[in-house]
Amino acid sequence: MISRRDFVKAVSGVVAAAGAVHPLLTWAAQDSPVVIPGEAGMIVRSARFFDLEMPPEFFDSWITPAPHFFVRNHMHEPSTLDPETWQLTVSGEVERPLTLMFADLVRMEPHTVTNTLECAGNGRAFQHPHVPGVQWQKGAVGTARFSGPRLRDVLQRAGVKPTGKHVMFHGLDEVPGKVPPFIRSIPIEKACDEDTLIAMRMNGEALTKHHGFPARALVPGWVGAASCKWLSEIKVLDKEFDGNFMKPGYRYPNHPLKPGDPLNLDDSHVLTALTVKSVIAGPTDDWTSSSRSIHIRGAAWAGEAEIVKVEISTDAGATWQAAQLGRDRSKYAWRLWSHNWKAPKAGDYAILSRATDSQGRTQPETAEWNPSGYLYNAYDQVKIHVQS
Amino acid sequence: MLRAQSPELPAGPAQAKVTTACTECHESRIISQQRLSKGAWTKEVDKMIKWGAVVDPADRDSFIEYLNTNFPSDKAPEQMPRVASARKR
Repeated sequence: MISRRDFVKAVSGVVAAAGAVHPLLTWAAQDSPVVIPGEAGMIVRSARFFDLEMPPEFFDSWITPAPHFFVRNHMHEPSTLDPETWQLTVSGEVERPLTLMFADLVRMEPHTVTNTLECAGNGRAFQHPHVPGVQWQKGAVGTARFSGPRLRDVLQRAGVKPTGKHVMFHGLDEVPGKVPPFIRSIPIEKACDEDTLIAMRMNGEALTKHHGFPARALVPGWVGAASCKWLSEIKVLDKEFDGNFMKPGYRYPNHPLKPGDPLNLDDSHVLTALTVKSVIAGPTDDWTSSSRSIHIRGAAWAGEAEIVKVEISTDAGATWQAAQLGRDRSKYAWRLWSHNWKAPKAGDYAILSRATDSQGRTQPETAEWNPSGYLYNAYDQVKIHVQS
Repeated sequence: MLRAQSPELPAGPAQAKVTTACTECHESRIISQQRLSKGAWTKEVDKMIKWGAVVDPADRDSFIEYLNTNFPSDKAPEQMPRVASARKR
């Protein structure tokens, strides 16, 4: 862990640079050019609002570099972000409402959490019948080291009243038309968890604009939507926030639905922690191998739970072999895994992966269908051709 | 710098009006990547009207018809572009 002085120095040093996004790559959406931070190979789901997906082959790094980290925006990104004038207010059910400047947060003791952040809608494209929304396949997920003050330290300064039960986040994203603003809340228990942060850094650098500069909430193990970007307002509430992105948005049926059935809001709950899931990074789909020896690899994660097992099947699920789990681990981070397999003969094969976690959950063959396509976690699959 | 244009929505009776109403906020690809039933398209159009999309009430049905014709649930998925490098490596 870095010292507070190093943290202050490091954050201050990059402030000027972080405001200006390096114009490595651009995409002209209609008449408004959008700067794309991704390295070559990132999948553009939408240039406006900006949604960028990581392709499967980038899943083989335990820490996802920021240029490979997926981007999900519900709205326009803030048009101006000036760390000199940026403020974070803390209000609601608190004894002492606060207004914090960038420098105030930088002076607080930082904490680092390595977290796998996944969009609730990752895998939506695989739901049948199809559901509306960004058609994410496998890569609306990434793992990074997030650093910043603990949210509970900020809340403690403000003094949460006994009536404070939920903590609401509001960011600076710009709302088009009559769209409801992106405001959500988390329960006070999760807000006061030692690993819930006001993150200001990602992988040792200031957050990029696309990832929430200058500060974002980081709610580890939970769906990405909980980790509000461009954070400007924290409000302690006596009940869950009542707004579009809490209800009907980001809700999951209490009981499995028949595919195609509507969600009964009165029989649903707001999404919190991620579920158990694995993705095959390689070989990639449609790959042709000149050798029968195949190095199968990927990543597996389970939100607040731990991955205990990843298994591979090359015979349509009749038998499964345990993959080897990678050395790198951290409470909320994915585990990389790998498995060496020798194809018995030339031909076409489907490779399946499934993960099991410390809560006893195993990826299902078919994901539970729901009308927004949340938490898709069926076995992953790639099809390959072995030549010799 | 690499520049690429968002594709135009497919030709059809409501193409111009759909383009004007939707691309006020969205890139065309967020529409063309959807594969929805007519019922689901109806819900989406009504939601977007509620959220500020400027659609003449007389055009609502033609919007739904156009979207359902071009982006139905049984059509093959669209291939999305990858970011290409602006620098030679």
